[in-house]
Amino acid sequence: MKKITILIVALLAVGLVAFTNHSGGIYKTNTGNINFYSHTSVEDITADNHKVKTAFDASSGKLQFSVLIKDFEFPKALMQEHFNENYMSSTKYPKSTFSGTIENMEAINLAQNGTYTSPVSGNLTMKDVTKEVSTIATFTVTDGVVNAKASFNVNPEDYNIDIPKVVSKKISREIKVSIDADYMHTH
Amino acid sequence: MKRPILLFIALLVLGAVYYAYKSYNKPHTNVEETAAAESLTAINLFDAFDTDETAALTKYADKVIQVNGSIFQIDLSNDAEPQVVLQGNGNNGFIRCGFKSSETDKVKRLNDNVTLNVKGLCKGFNSSEELDLLADKDVVLSNCMIIE
Repeated sequence: MKKITILIVALLAVGLVAFTNHSGGIYKTNTGNINFYSHTSVEDITADNHKVKTAFDASSGKLQFSVLIKDFEFPKALMQEHFNENYMSSTKYPKSTFSGTIENMEAINLAQNGTYTSPVSGNLTMKDVTKEVSTIATFTVTDGVVNAKASFNVNPEDYNIDIPKVVSKKISREIKVSIDADYMHTH
Repeated sequence: MKRPILLFIALLVLGAVYYAYKSYNKPHTNVEETAAAESLTAINLFDAFDTDETAALTKYADKVIQVNGSIFQIDLSNDAEPQVVLQGNGNNGFIRCGFKSSETDKVKRLNDNVTLNVKGLCKGFNSSEELDLLADKDVVLSNCMIIE
């Protein structure tokens, strides 16, 4: 009788460990990429940040981002200066954050190599303005590393970014924000 | 009499065009050629941001600074920007130094557990009280170079 109890307890324990290994834990990176791209007939503007801090919780699907505005690098120094000083006031509002959810987390099998998609939605904060954004993200699992790619459009006017008339034609009202991050399992 | 005026106007226009061209194409801050505005330890730099982010931003952001600290991690996870993480407070505080991809070989040759002298452009403090999954706090430097 005792043997059976021990066996059941052991099986339960193994099952529990296997379960937590596969579906739990925090996946994180400090070196994610965000690119934004503004296209108009007059000028294309692009900028990159390679130090994006982001993490998701594999059991709840909770997803967070934090990025420094000043760390976006533009091909031209003057554009970078205008972006920081005139449009983003990056000394006053140094960060942009996102807090949301991977809505279809249970469909992503982190223990199995493959490509999965899920809607992602949440709140994007820039210049002290918070708006809801949503998109479809692609998750590629390769031996425990999870690459996530997603993009969505942002209208600068929604975030209190005033664009003067003189340069109005050079800056799109639909700026494409693209994310590309490799998440590693932490704990 | 008219000619000198015309010549003057022409020169003025040329000057304006030259100025506009120069500012449109002005280069990024060259970290190598810029003298460091401040030289301090990683621990003191982290402490400045952790104590008063606004004051530290005013003092250090957009400036070339030189930092000395012990290496916590050599992070080559992003091909576009090799990074070195210095210990900031012995716990969850760090200085994250980004290098141009052309510096990858130099960064690779660094050893863990040694102290590093680095010069770079300070970009601010990536930390967030509200985001519980992102509890680490990083002072961020970019376009870094190793000082031998």
